[in-house]
Formats: sequence, structure tokens, C-alpha cells
Amino acid sequence: MLSYIIRRILMVIPLLLGITIVSFAIMKLAPGDPASLMMDPTISPADKERFMERYGLNDPVHIQYLKWLGAMLQGDFGTSLIRKGVPVIEMIMNRMPNTILLMVVSTILSILISIPFGVISATRPYSKLDYSVTVTSFFGVATPNFFLGLILIMVFAVQNNWFPTGGVATLNAPFSIWDRIHHLIMPAFVLASADMAGLTRYTRSSMLEVIKQDYMRTARAKGFRENKVIYKHGLRNGLIPVITIFGLMIPSFIGGAVIVEKIFTWSGIGLLFVDSAFQRDYPVLMGLTVISSVFVVIGNLIADILYAIFDPRIEY
Amino acid sequence: MKLRKASWWLISLTLILSIFLTACTGGNSSEDPKETPGDDGKTEEEATGPQQGGDLIIGSTGAPTVFNPLYSTDTSSSDIEGFIYDSLVSSDTEFNPTMSMAESIDISEDGLTFTAKLKKGIKWHDGEEFTADDVVFTFSIPKDANYNGERGSAFEAMESVTKVDDYTVEFKLSKKDASFYPVSLSYYILPEHILKDVPVAELGEHEFNTKSPIGTGPFKFVEWKDGEYVKVEAFDDYFKGHPYLDTLTYKIVPDMDAMIAQIQAGDIHFAAGVPGTDIETVKSFPGVKVESGLGLSYTYLGYNQKNELFKDKKVRQAITHAIDREAIVSSVMNGDGKVAHVPESPLSFAYNDDVPKFEFDVEKAKSLLAEAGWKDSDGDGILDKDGKKFSFTVKTNQGNKVREDIVVVLQEQLKEVGIEAKPEIVEWSAFIEQISAPNWNYDALVLGWSLSTFPDQYDIFHTSQMEAGLNFVWYSNPEADKLMEEAKQILDQDEYKAAYADIYKMLAEDQPYTFLYYPNVHRVMPADLEGYVFHAKDDFYDISKWWLKK
Repeated sequence: MLSYIIRRILMVIPLLLGITIVSFAIMKLAPGDPASLMMDPTISPADKERFMERYGLNDPVHIQYLKWLGAMLQGDFGTSLIRKGVPVIEMIMNRMPNTILLMVVSTILSILISIPFGVISATRPYSKLDYSVTVTSFFGVATPNFFLGLILIMVFAVQNNWFPTGGVATLNAPFSIWDRIHHLIMPAFVLASADMAGLTRYTRSSMLEVIKQDYMRTARAKGFRENKVIYKHGLRNGLIPVITIFGLMIPSFIGGAVIVEKIFTWSGIGLLFVDSAFQRDYPVLMGLTVISSVFVVIGNLIADILYAIFDPRIEY
Repeated sequence: MKLRKASWWLISLTLILSIFLTACTGGNSSEDPKETPGDDGKTEEEATGPQQGGDLIIGSTGAPTVFNPLYSTDTSSSDIEGFIYDSLVSSDTEFNPTMSMAESIDISEDGLTFTAKLKKGIKWHDGEEFTADDVVFTFSIPKDANYNGERGSAFEAMESVTKVDDYTVEFKLSKKDASFYPVSLSYYILPEHILKDVPVAELGEHEFNTKSPIGTGPFKFVEWKDGEYVKVEAFDDYFKGHPYLDTLTYKIVPDMDAMIAQIQAGDIHFAAGVPGTDIETVKSFPGVKVESGLGLSYTYLGYNQKNELFKDKKVRQAITHAIDREAIVSSVMNGDGKVAHVPESPLSFAYNDDVPKFEFDVEKAKSLLAEAGWKDSDGDGILDKDGKKFSFTVKTNQGNKVREDIVVVLQEQLKEVGIEAKPEIVEWSAFIEQISAPNWNYDALVLGWSLSTFPDQYDIFHTSQMEAGLNFVWYSNPEADKLMEEAKQILDQDEYKAAYADIYKMLAEDQPYTFLYYPNVHRVMPADLEGYVFHAKDDFYDISKWWLKK
């Protein structure tokens, strides 16, 4: 198992290198540059040109990449072009806790809601409950995050004032856990919604499969209570495919966070990503690309390891 | 069973850890001791005059970048710099220069020496006194060989700045420059006692700019939470008097839709730049009022005069005749603006609309185009000449609803005279790169200029600015060039105005742009905000005098 994990980690290196090359190339191929944003009659074009020169933005793309890579390998992500002098790593680290909080809470939310619903659906297939869970989850899959987010803001924040319209905490108010949670509920729910639907469906079909197995009948015949049969013997086996799916969902959490953070003004790395893209803040964009790629890769790694733990049939 | 327990542990641990992390970063904002107490002590009788207290939350769709006036280039940063810093001169609502930290400014006979007397007793936020050293220090930065900011051109004419005594500074210019007094002297002053030992090359990236800016302005910097807000609090020793508001929080929102939702929910109190198309909606929100006025800007349709299609002045005039600008203002903008004829705002002292005008007249447009040799010889409804069709694209930037609508309206209107104008909407940064040097990759474009309080058309219309400057339409008129060069030397306002009257006549006659309209600006604020005065250029004009009626 240890050698498997080491092998997996080693494989990550060329993968990350590839990601950075592709990202850098795409970023540079996209039209626009940070100096263009200074379109202002009081700033002379010569001054803008000096800006490009000073940050090496006029160098050939491959030179820029190699310079960036060299610095990055020494742990230096550079400084922002827009927020002059602020280290990229500091900007990302300021925002990271918010994103982690959002992702962890929405993940837990989606697990807590979808797995029980999937199991209930599976144990009573074709019942009214099953149908309503199915219909709801299809709505969840079909509704885009941004749309659901806007509707929730409109109904629960603007019209009814039950929740804040956005932000991570109330301005000018003392820190409180409750205030934090209050701000967290809507964005976490929206982020969880799309995956909730998928997870419910996967749990349902996987459990349906498991329920028919012989060992379930054996367990029942031994006189275990139905709940124990389902949740102890059934669920553990039923969750194996769900874990794989779950690992694959982590990248989509990061992608979803970009949209959700933007809508809810949730000051995390997703929002930073969007803003930096529009400002052509290349060092920040590259820093974020590297860090989110690491996240995705680690997410997949964790999924594989969990798989190994949960499924005794798999050997490494 | 054991494994399940372990995984639960893992999950709970991550959760606790992440809450802890966020709590840590959230901590500094919460422990702010200047938490505003509700001003309950005030009695009803006192309610007539200005009242002390209150927090104003200001919404902005742009995030600030750096709080140093010699290095920042965006509006959000300069908004906040306006709270923190102060300048020698500023401008009143009619854009006349007024004294701020300067007591007086004397100009020598030859117009090359400016002597500034400073007010005494002005304090920096850290208690130090403001003196001539600070002025000399600040103005020396952009002249330093190692200066790497983007504001060098504003100080080009300045040759030297010297301290005469603690409260007198002398500026020497190498050539006459009409903009030196109103523009260069209005730059915010930086504290010498804090920054004097920082090498100029490192000043742009110094911590002072983002973590601890110190100024002489009405508000002290408290905190900047990246991506969330910037907070400032009243400076007790402000030389123009203690500000009435306790704190200002400059809150960053992702876009205008979020801004409007937050205004409605009461999460934002003050917002500038709300588009005219949304203003009726905002007015219906309770507890909110809207103040509007003409903004210091104009929107235009510019023609790439490198392109054969637009080289002939008659063709440009014909297109202006073919465009119903009144209809654009009344239908696209709900009447929220004024038709423009010159590249200067009616608010400016130099404004003069005694110029050739090209009103909406389809027949006139058709005959001018015929004079220029354009005929529909193949009967497809589109004019042609030498086998080339009169067809071009009109680019504009994405995200500005009014401009996006205008390019579509232009397509319809120009079709009437046999011109095909195809709309193309491009993301901002890409748009700017495409249209400006060295690409000039466009036929025509719809864009706007935000104007300086001091009118000067040199950067935009002078021939020397074609290759690398802002004259990206390649307009050239040697006569106009000469007049613009001469105007730069005129220090008297009336003479300057007379010189510009001629320049505007020429520009209007040549139609390098079709000047479309002057937009209104709208500012949303609490219904009980008092002391607010409209200033077309400054959203937060005299903010130390604003107060909230309880």
C-alpha cells in the first residue's frame, strides 16, 4: 500500500508540470494584458510600456514560463501585478480558509443529505418516497448553480431578509460563530446541491444492487434487524462505488466554488481566480492553477486510498 | 466498525480545523475596539444640526489595488486614497482649483515658478506635523530616475521642487504647462517622516501602500480585508474639522446585480455608478435616495482613420447625420443623458458647443455619401465604391449594457442609408489590446472617455499621439495640432477657453468621432444622509461633512 501511494505521488509530478505548461500557454494566448487596463489619458503609453518591461511581460512566452517555473520551484510564486508588491502566496493564503470552509461544509452537507436519501430510496424502490427523491434530485442536477444561487438570494435574502445577500461575515459586527454559519448556509447549500443529486442517484443504484446480494439474505436469515442489515452489511458495500464517484467530484467542487463564490461574494480563491483572470494578473492565476491542481490531485489520491481501505477485495 | 470511526474522526477534525482557520483570519475584524455604539445619548432637541456618528457602507464593483497615489491607476484605489490623503489644491464643484493644504499659490510672471505657502498645524494620522519636507519628498519621487510608477507624465514639465522654509515650497517648471496647477498640484501628499529611507525603486511595492498607509486626510486607515472590504475611521485631528461619520467601509461586490440586491437588503448604503437603466428600480427601495447629475464624460463612435472607408471627412459627417442620437438617448438610455457635439463636457469651463452640428438627417447623409462616391450599383441595398462594399464592424466592450445596445441600434440606423455595420462585443482587456497601439485592429468602436477636470485634448487628438498614444483613431489635422500645442502654454482661463473654442470647432467639423452623448451619473445613498454635495468627478466630495440624521 505504501509503495502504491508513493508511486501515485511520483506520478503527480509530470502531471502538474503538464498542467502548468498548458495553463501558461492558454493564459498568454488569450488576448489582453494587464497594461491595457490602465487605459487612462493621464497615464502615458510610455509609462505603460515601462510597466510591461519591468515585469518582463514583453519577453518571449517560453522565457517567461521558465523564469516563472524556476522561481516557483524555489517556493516563490512571485508578486501580484495588480496588487503591486503583494506576494501571490499571501493573497492565496488569505483566501484559502474561506474556500476550504465552504468546500468542507458543502461536502458534509451533500453526504449527510444524499446518502440517507439514496438508501431510503433503494430500500423502498418505486414507492412515493423514492419517486419524490428521484424527481428532486433531477431538479438538482438540472438547475445550474448560478441560477439556484440567484433565486435563493432573491427569495431568502432580498425579499425575506432571512439570510445575508453575501459575504463571509457581517460588516462592522463582532465575530460570532452563528454569524459565520448564517453566511455559510446558502452558498454551501448551492455548492452541495448539484453533487447531492448525483450522489443520491449513485447511492440508490449501488444499494439496489447490494440489497439483492446473498449475504444480505444470509444476514436477515441470521435474525439481524432490518436496519442493521441495511446499514451495517449493506451500506459498507454499497458505498464503495460512491467513494470513487466522490473522489471524481472534488474537481467539480473547485469549479463550482468559482461560480458560487462570485454570486455570494464569498471571498475565497474562486473569487480571486475570476478577478485575476479579468485583470490578467498572471502570477496570481498561475499560483492558483498550481494550488488547485494540487488539490484535485490530492483529492483523487484520497479517493484511491479510501477505496483501498473500504474495499477489502482490492490489493496493492 | 473501527474504520468507520476513524473516518468520522477525520471528517470532524477537518471541519474543526477549517472553522479554526477562518476564525483566526476573521478575528482581527471582530476585535476592532472602535465598534460604533448606537448614538443613543443624543436628544431630540439636538437633531437640527449635523450629528456625530454612524457607519457608512459604500459598495464598489472594483477592488482596490494599492493606496499610493503615485502608483495606483484604478478608481477604487483613488476613492480610498481620497479618504486617507489630502493634497495642496483640490477642485470645487465647478472644477476651479481650491486651496486644500496650501494656504496660497503664487505664480511668477513668466509662469515658470510656483510658490506654495502651506497651512500650519496640519497633522499626519500618526500625530507628526505636516511640513514642506513632505511636499518636496512627494514631488521628488516621480522625478527620480528609479521611479517605476505610471504617473511620470503628470510631472514632466516640473524641473525642480525645493523647500524655502518649513511652510513654503517652490516649484520650477522647464516650460509653461497649463495643467500643472490644476492637475499636478492636486496629487496627494505622502509622509516624508515614514518613507524617506525607502529607496524609490522599492516604493511602489512597499508595505506602507497596502498595510499601513498614513495620510493627512479625514479618515484613518483601519483594515483591508482582501476581496471583502477596506475600512477607515474618522481622524480626530483632521485640519478641516472632525468628520461626522465614525467609519466608512468600502465593500467590494462582484457586479452591479449583486450591488443592487445588497442595496435593497440594506447591506450597502452608498453606491456610485449605478446605471441609469436600473435607477427606477433602486428608487423604489425604502430608505434610499438617488442623487443624479451629468457626469464628466462622453461616449463616442470612433472611426479607424487608417481604414480607407473612413479617410474622407464627408463620410464621417454622413454617418453622424445618419445616426439618431436623440433616439439613442431617449430609448436605449431612457432619456438618461444629453446628446454630445464636442469632446468636452458641458460641465467644463472650456465647453463650447458653437460648432458645426450634424443633426439626424437621412437625406443629407445619403447625399454626402453620394458626393463621396458611394453608390448602390448592384442593388443589394448596401453602398459600394470601386467594387468594395460599405461594410464594417463596430466593436465595443462587454459588460456595458448601454454600449452593447447602441451597437445594435447603430446597425439598424446605418442600414437606412445603405451602410452595413456589424456589432462585435469583446471582453474589456482584449478589447483595449485590439484597438490600441500597435494593433489598431478594428473598423469602428463605441467607447467613452472620462474627462479630467482640466480640459486638454492633446493626448487624444494630436497627431503625435497616433503611433503610441491614445489617438488610436489616427486623426490628424495639422491646424488643430498647432492650436493644441499653443493652448498648453496658456495659463489664463479665459484665453484658454477661447483657444479651445477654435479647437472644438475643428474637431466637430472633422468628426474623428461621432460624439454620441454625455451620460448622467447616479449615486445611491441613505435617505437620511445630509451634507452631500454633487460633484461630477468626485463621488465622495467633502465626505468629512457628510452626516446621518437619526
